[in-house]
Amino acid sequence: MSTQTSASTDQGLLRDLVGGLSVSGDGRTLSVGVVGSAAYASQPPGHCLDACLEGDPGAALMRGCEFLRGALRNAADVAQLCDGKCSKGFRAAAQVTSIAGSPATVVTVEGPLTGGPGRCSPVDLLGRLDDAARLVQRIGQMLEENAGFANEILQNYEQLNLIFDLTQQIANVTDVREIEKVLLERVARLLSSDAVCVVAAEGACRTYFAQPQPDGAVSRGPALNPAELAQAADFVRRTRHVRVAVVGGRQVIAAPLVRLDDKVEVVLADRSAGRGAFSAGDMMLIESVLAFGGQIISNTELHERMHRMLLEVTRALVAAIDKKDHYTSGHSERGGFLTRLTAQELGVPPAQQQTMEWAGLLHDVGKIGIPEEILCKPGKLTPEEWEVVKQHPRMGYEILQPIASLGVILDGVLYHHEYPDGSGYPEGLRGDQIPLVARIVHVVDTFDALTSTRAYRRAYSIERAIEIIRAEEGSRIDTEVAEAFFRALTRYRRENPADFAARFSIGSEKECENACA
Amino acid sequence: MSRILVAEDDPHILRLISMWLQREGHVVFEARNGLAARDLVRAEPVDILVSDINMPGMDGLALIESVIGEGCVRRGVIVLTNRWDHAEIRDRLADWGVTVLPKPFSPSRLSEVVESLAAGRPTTARMAPPPVSERGAC
Ligand SMILES: [Fe+2]
Repeated sequence: MSTQTSASTDQGLLRDLVGGLSVSGDGRTLSVGVVGSAAYASQPPGHCLDACLEGDPGAALMRGCEFLRGALRNAADVAQLCDGKCSKGFRAAAQVTSIAGSPATVVTVEGPLTGGPGRCSPVDLLGRLDDAARLVQRIGQMLEENAGFANEILQNYEQLNLIFDLTQQIANVTDVREIEKVLLERVARLLSSDAVCVVAAEGACRTYFAQPQPDGAVSRGPALNPAELAQAADFVRRTRHVRVAVVGGRQVIAAPLVRLDDKVEVVLADRSAGRGAFSAGDMMLIESVLAFGGQIISNTELHERMHRMLLEVTRALVAAIDKKDHYTSGHSERGGFLTRLTAQELGVPPAQQQTMEWAGLLHDVGKIGIPEEILCKPGKLTPEEWEVVKQHPRMGYEILQPIASLGVILDGVLYHHEYPDGSGYPEGLRGDQIPLVARIVHVVDTFDALTSTRAYRRAYSIERAIEIIRAEEGSRIDTEVAEAFFRALTRYRRENPADFAARFSIGSEKECENACA
Repeated sequence: MSRILVAEDDPHILRLISMWLQREGHVVFEARNGLAARDLVRAEPVDILVSDINMPGMDGLALIESVIGEGCVRRGVIVLTNRWDHAEIRDRLADWGVTVLPKPFSPSRLSEVVESLAAGRPTTARMAPPPVSERGAC
């Protein structure tokens, strides 16, 4: 095999080394070999191969030679052979050294190329032997280091790969539970674990992965009793370090998963004793993967929390505006909810449903700029007053417009009083010119107005409100959107009757009494 | 134990792959480019070829194309590619029934695929060209 393609490069390295240490000159040759290593095949000196071993480096023939037999044993009796003569009359010496962490014997043989005793000084031979032994040992150390580096790199590759894969898998997942599931399943697979569970701060245990056992039973998580479980978890929670233990005959590894607000959960993975102990590499792996995963989970949790907070602040704000007009209490809240329900029914993608909900929630924010005496006037408005009320979409738009990230929401606010026939305001857009979000908010807004009690009339029943809206389909109401809304509303009412009743306490008159007092 | 040829131009990665597979008990041959790899399998067939794509001289695609029909690789081909390699390369490899693993390679995944191929099980990609007897000599 060429040097470019070697079945075992380490073996080749050893062969090259002993070849390079062998020298010829002055009509004689000194050859070097390494025998008796547990890790590498023997490389007898060239003299032995030529004179006694028929060119075969195998151990069987070497045992026929007293000198090599002693060398193969790595025993103290090699010392007696040092600087002795072999049966063929060559001067021969041996020295025990170590190669790649295990003992081996370096041997040198010296003599003329073609038979007969040589005439070189003993110092020469022994000096050569020392050099060779040192070199072989050095090479052995390097090989060992090499194997160590390789292990390290292979382990890193494994981790890097896992992290790449996880990143790819998690990229489109926004649900924390789902991320956790993906993460822990990968950890379990990588550690050849039978089961993985998470011990939350409260001590409850969630099982994420359970390998079916050979006997068909499914492991219900690490087979630990509660006390042992608590002990392992406490140690990790306190120190934030990985811990490996043998509990009840099973190998257990416990590692921290740090979540938002520095809350430490403990991931426990176990495997049957037959599978071998968790290694230092396993510990590093679970630690780095959970550190990375914990970061992603924390970020996602933080994102969710911020989002929830933003929504709550906005709800409080619009509720305050709704309060200004006592008749429209809860109007914006319901607007958001119903807009989302309708968008869902229309097959709008989830991310956009969310945006549309915001539009539904904020659509009447401009009413903050309408004087209370107009907004809450019992009875009919004068044409002038009506013109003022019609300013509210534009006002809402202007209030929200500086918030660049609102985008689609602004469309919903500005155009929620546009009608398909072009008779709406503020711009008189028609049909498809009106953004979908605005058409949805308009239907929902109309419905909520009809089913709310006003200063000048009682609330209509839901059925009556639907009839009224249906009568305007095609002119002031978008047919497709309205029908989707009715379907969604009917389904919601059927599936969540209690929640529906709470949200739509239709015709409650308590707020009529002192409206705009 | 399988006879595996690794074709990879980066000497360190080559060494690493070969070291890993040797440790798993396989007989591993190394080649630094496509031509050397092709000559090697033509001289003596192997069970599995593990190949890089970008190599000087003859690249991995040309190598696979030339050996896949010759029956010199008995069990299957594994290709290590960059994650950002073009989809068309991946499609072509999939058409050939080649298993693709992204770089940096996962040692455990590589072992799994090698074991599957050696046992004649399908891997994630469609696999296993017919045995050598049906293909004619190399
Ligand atoms: Fe409005």
